[in-house]
Amino acid sequence: MPDAQHSDLLDPFEERLTAGLHDAGNAFETDRAALVTAGALKGRRRLLRRRNAAVMGGAAGIALVGVGGALLLPSGNPGEAQAAHATTAKSTATSAPTPVSGDALIRTLEKLLPDGQFTKAEARGTDDGLSPYVHLVYDDGNGASAVEVGLGRVQPGSDQARQTTRCPGKAFTNYDACGTSRLADGSVVMVLQGYEYPDRRVDTKLWNAELVTPQGQHVSISEWNAAAEKDAPISRSQPPLSPAQLRKLAAATAWRDAIDAMPVDPNSPVTPPSPSETGATLSVTSTLRTLLPKGLTVSEAGDTDDSGFGYLVVDDGKGKTLVQVNVQADMSDVEGDLFGSGAEVLSDGTKVATHQGPGEKGGSGVVMWTVDTIRTDGRRVVISAFNSGAQNTAATRKAPALTMKQLREIALSPKWL
Amino acid sequence: MRRQERADAYEEFAAARAGHLYRSACLLTAGDTHLAEDLVQETLGKLYVGWGRLSRVGNPAGYAQTVLTRTYLAHQRRRSSTERATDALPDLPDPGAPGTDTPLRLTLLQALSRLPAKDRAVVVLRYWEDRSVEETADVMHVSSAAVRTRCVRALGRLRELLGENLDEYARP
Repeated sequence: MPDAQHSDLLDPFEERLTAGLHDAGNAFETDRAALVTAGALKGRRRLLRRRNAAVMGGAAGIALVGVGGALLLPSGNPGEAQAAHATTAKSTATSAPTPVSGDALIRTLEKLLPDGQFTKAEARGTDDGLSPYVHLVYDDGNGASAVEVGLGRVQPGSDQARQTTRCPGKAFTNYDACGTSRLADGSVVMVLQGYEYPDRRVDTKLWNAELVTPQGQHVSISEWNAAAEKDAPISRSQPPLSPAQLRKLAAATAWRDAIDAMPVDPNSPVTPPSPSETGATLSVTSTLRTLLPKGLTVSEAGDTDDSGFGYLVVDDGKGKTLVQVNVQADMSDVEGDLFGSGAEVLSDGTKVATHQGPGEKGGSGVVMWTVDTIRTDGRRVVISAFNSGAQNTAATRKAPALTMKQLREIALSPKWL
Repeated sequence: MRRQERADAYEEFAAARAGHLYRSACLLTAGDTHLAEDLVQETLGKLYVGWGRLSRVGNPAGYAQTVLTRTYLAHQRRRSSTERATDALPDLPDPGAPGTDTPLRLTLLQALSRLPAKDRAVVVLRYWEDRSVEETADVMHVSSAAVRTRCVRALGRLRELLGENLDEYARP
């Protein structure tokens, strides 16, 4: 599917689908004025709710706008103000930072990189949505490499902020080195030296730095040892910037200035689904730990912030086993695809399906044992175990360290509800 | 910008976009017009709250669509199966199913309603809103690869339901 010009190169079905959608869509009409009035009313109520709740430093910025009536500020005085928001101490009540264009971002990157040739630059500026980025090909004389910078915001102190700068577990990601450090200004930066393909079927290296400032500014830098991420030949043995250089580039103030120029997202900053959304009050990893059969030692564990997915690497003394669990709140719409007519149905209506077969990610001799369950309210709990500590490394034992019966017991535990 | 000027600018913007937002919402909800109204109202409400900044954004109309899509997907995540909206039509057999006398033709809306919400969102963004893969990934907070996978799967399902010749599908 083409990326840049969507309207070109559609196949006949896609073209007719587009026309069909326009026909179908244009057939819907409504009372626009009523929608606008109702929408503005909802907006006003939302603002008043926010004013009444405690506004902490991490909240997204709020602009109080009057529509046909005065709105009160926290102090009770009518007038304009903006609540302090997570990303900048520089904003005032009346001015906003000027947007930073894609071209300006390209120039910034070219200036910050050591001397070399720059080609194939593309970028999205801060006034063009919420994911500004720069991508170019950089040649320092030793081979061309792709370099990419991504900018964004996270809520400071949030789970997402922590996860962004945490080194991934080796059970899921093959990499050479990873380290996290704290800078003098309180920013946290992780540098990961890994590979474009986790199973290393091509040895394209991907090194990236993720930096989060105390104000929630998020800078992401990626570099490869090839001129493009995928399907380009390796042009050099390592990407051009060392980990130290990556950290320095990520910490450049120019990126933070650009982030501050981004528009505020009226929705909350993106966070992983809250526990109330998936229904779990503990993280999946923590819950899994409490359900393990006796006699297993845990050598690696997934994030304890995630309430949709978790994993443990366990050992019964005879070799490592990766166990992973997905908890999904409402999968009723795909229930038919996951649980065919042959699925077992328990007395309470829960459906159970089991699979045993080769692993999906290329480790030699790896098998994957799965018990999939769905409750009558659509909540799906699926557990898989492998005879290896990671899906893409070779098997370390004949079978997983948990039996199908044990996996089934874990998946059907009421603790997931 | 003085307060009243901003208020007027918001109302003008909202009035100009409400129709298109409503049509998009109807496609996203596969024809559930009540839910579509709720979603548009919620979207306009959020835009109201952020209007001070949003008015300086380069493409507020595009951004409004982004907010609408995300609001719809968030709504989908929250609802329980007991309050299922009637976005699926349980009594319709698949076209050409064994036992049917004549090939049953679905309307496009009916076919859309058979897709999972996220797949439907990708179709609406790509083919109704004409967004690129990367823009769609941005809206849905997923990778470009995930968008491509969903798109291929959704088109495959639509092809199955509607047949290769879209001209034959029954119009509402």
